[in-house]
Amino acid sequence: MGISALQLSSYVAFAVFVIVVAAKWRKWASMPLHLRWELYPVPHEAGKHHYGGSYLEEVDWWKKPRHTTLAGELKDMLAEMLFIKRVYVYKRPLWWLTYPFHAGIYLILVWFALLVVHGILNVYVSIPALDSIVKVLIQITGTIGIIAATLGCLGLLFRRLSDSAMKKYSSGVEYFNLLFILVVLLTGIAVWMNDTSFENAMAYMTALVSFGSVEAPQLSQLAQFHVVLMALLWMYIPFTKMSHFVGKYFTFHKVLWEDEPNLRGSKLEAKVREAVRQRMPWSAPHLKKGKTWLENAAEVE
Amino acid sequence: MAGDEIKIEDISKPSKQMIKLRLEDLMPLPPPYDKPGMEPELTDPKPEWREKYVTELDGYIAIDVPFKPKTKEEEEKLVKSFLEGLQKLVSKEGNWTFLQPLLLSLEYCAKCHTCSEACPIYVSSGRKEIYRPTYRAEVLRRIWKRYLTPAGKTFGKFVSGDIELNGTTIMRLAELAYRCTLCRRCTQTCPIGVDNGLITHEIRKLFSQEMGIAPKAIHELGTVQHLKVGSSTGMTPDGIKDIIEFIEDDIEEKLGRRIEIPVDEKGADILLIHNAGEFLSWPENPAAFAILFEEAGISWTLSSEALGYDGVNYGVWYDDVQLARIAVRHAEIARKLDVNKIVIGECGHAHKALTVIADRVLHDELNIPRESCLPILWDIVRKKKLNLDPEKNNFPVTLHDPCNIVRLMGIVEPQRKILKEICPQFREMSPNGVYNYCCGGGSGFAIMNSMNFPEWRAKVSVRMKCKQILSAFQDCIDPSIDKYVCAPCSNCKGAIRDILEHYQLTQNCSIYYGGLVELMVNAMVDLEEPFLEF
Ligand code: SF4
Ligand code: SF4
Repeated sequence: MGISALQLSSYVAFAVFVIVVAAKWRKWASMPLHLRWELYPVPHEAGKHHYGGSYLEEVDWWKKPRHTTLAGELKDMLAEMLFIKRVYVYKRPLWWLTYPFHAGIYLILVWFALLVVHGILNVYVSIPALDSIVKVLIQITGTIGIIAATLGCLGLLFRRLSDSAMKKYSSGVEYFNLLFILVVLLTGIAVWMNDTSFENAMAYMTALVSFGSVEAPQLSQLAQFHVVLMALLWMYIPFTKMSHFVGKYFTFHKVLWEDEPNLRGSKLEAKVREAVRQRMPWSAPHLKKGKTWLENAAEVE
Repeated sequence: MAGDEIKIEDISKPSKQMIKLRLEDLMPLPPPYDKPGMEPELTDPKPEWREKYVTELDGYIAIDVPFKPKTKEEEEKLVKSFLEGLQKLVSKEGNWTFLQPLLLSLEYCAKCHTCSEACPIYVSSGRKEIYRPTYRAEVLRRIWKRYLTPAGKTFGKFVSGDIELNGTTIMRLAELAYRCTLCRRCTQTCPIGVDNGLITHEIRKLFSQEMGIAPKAIHELGTVQHLKVGSSTGMTPDGIKDIIEFIEDDIEEKLGRRIEIPVDEKGADILLIHNAGEFLSWPENPAAFAILFEEAGISWTLSSEALGYDGVNYGVWYDDVQLARIAVRHAEIARKLDVNKIVIGECGHAHKALTVIADRVLHDELNIPRESCLPILWDIVRKKKLNLDPEKNNFPVTLHDPCNIVRLMGIVEPQRKILKEICPQFREMSPNGVYNYCCGGGSGFAIMNSMNFPEWRAKVSVRMKCKQILSAFQDCIDPSIDKYVCAPCSNCKGAIRDILEHYQLTQNCSIYYGGLVELMVNAMVDLEEPFLEF
């Protein structure tokens, strides 16, 4: 027993994924305060979101309590995350491709999570009733996930190549990304054809979850190739814009829906005070390079 | 070139003009403008303009300051300066104001083009590639990737896509930054929240803040004059006092009694700031405000101090420092007058600049509450502070939603509720509210009148609004019926005035325009003669 090089690659891939995604998250979260730039409808505006209204519709709005709703935000977020609503509404033909692709990937992620649960149930706690449910779910999510994602991926690749507008805007790396995913999916399908009940996948994940105490199954060369490719993909994604799941949180929550008013004496006001004391490096003749924003605002010829 | 086969990299390739607009390509308009000969033809730029200004994009000139490099050295200098500016634009030191939104938008676009059809400019132009919301964004993105990111420097074209940074690219990109009204309608449709309007804004900023390049109407005659003289219209503190007197005379004539317009009154509840363009082009608007505020018993004042009578802030369109300078002056004036709050009159960008954007600039004693006039106006109607008779406004009225007030501030209902109360024939445009189309005069276009830019504005930029206005009145398009487009924004009124003139909507269809307060005063029972003149 022990940990094989193949297993090691899986651990490393997962670790890289988590670390890089966390680093990206940190990068975006630690960006400086920016000027307000919200865009309506803002879904946390309680009672007003349905028509795009805001607290600025009230006389003396700063004297009144702000009514916000987390449920409104969750609803909007989930509609976008789970159904890609904006593409459904504004570009339906593309939605028929992008939705199976994304939904397929979500299902594959659920499949991964279920494999982990199955592994835990096998190695650490035994709950046979739960295990049999998990096995059924693995079967369903894995099968639908890989088929949907593959069809969607093929469709998206074909569309990017054939739709002249999309083609013009795509660089090599965009095709490469789709191709990379496609190859992983296709090798996955090839492996699955010889293991339709995901026995090997379950056994392999059980070995991973056991950290060496359970022996890994003997995988075919194709399956090993697939596992390595998958590991590479996990490591690659966070470095690319395919990690837009991180970016999307910030574009919506920290820009488009960020409507916090700067009230007198608030923490935000302290941040603003700090921000305008930064030096201004721009060179145009009407500006005072090297002076602070505050000085620039105060001194005008 | 017809314009739809253009590729991103074509922006760098020298040619006389990337595209040429043709009347037959433009978006068709509803009846009676569906017949040929109903609108003027397009013209070519004058040959002498080509020498000094950038006609290499589409033949139109927004930037009326000559910055075309004549020699290789000048071109190299332009490129160097652009890259230095871009470096600042993507750095914490240079761009705390918009760094996060900008980098997110540069990094995550999926090139899905879900946003394209939302753009009135792109659609009105007959879908010319260079006007696609993503076109200029992708040009900037490619330059940024190629020249400033490690991945682009290492893998080149494979990662960044094809682009060459030369004088032609920069000149065209500068012009292209003035083919988008910053309405951000495209952003509403993006599944990732990428903001192509913001990218346009940031390109304009780079040119202004680093290279001093911006249209004269916005910079030299705009913010610079505003800060120097007191108003971007050139109006001085003495000038405003004279105009206020005229307005008082005018009110006396219409109302039958004199109203003293409060000016520089310390300790009033409200400092009302109008767009100074109102005093010059539409004095009936500040007059109507004065009547309403006085009749409703509101404690208010105007300011005659330089900048205090001109609420515009063109900085919001192109230069963060100019924006901050003007916002700080506005707040200082309110502080000196010791008012409880600043209320912005019917001017969209003044609303957004002072209430929302400058909210992260003003602090401590300058952090004076600021609000829109619309909720107060609705309060006047709702609380029945005035005796209003809707029958006096019994003609078809439609409402234009200024992007800055509606999509960008979420003030949607007050103006509608007022119109529903006082205009029996009120009808919505489609789409409306936060999904409205820009008037076409946004981001400075309404005041940019150099050379052939007004032609581009009339043909492309305002075209969608023209279509919406005509569509809203299709059931009463007959010229025997007077119709009113209500636009509670000075800038939008300027653009709508343009639509009416260029397409002759008043002559052909009896369509008039004006603000919201004019309709309110027109409905006042006390008024013997109609306030609106048409
Ligand atoms: S801006 Fe958004 S909608 Fe437009 S192409 Fe990019 S990702 Fe798609
Ligand atoms: S901001 Fe408005 S004008 Fe500019 S690209 Fe987007 S939709 Fe078009």
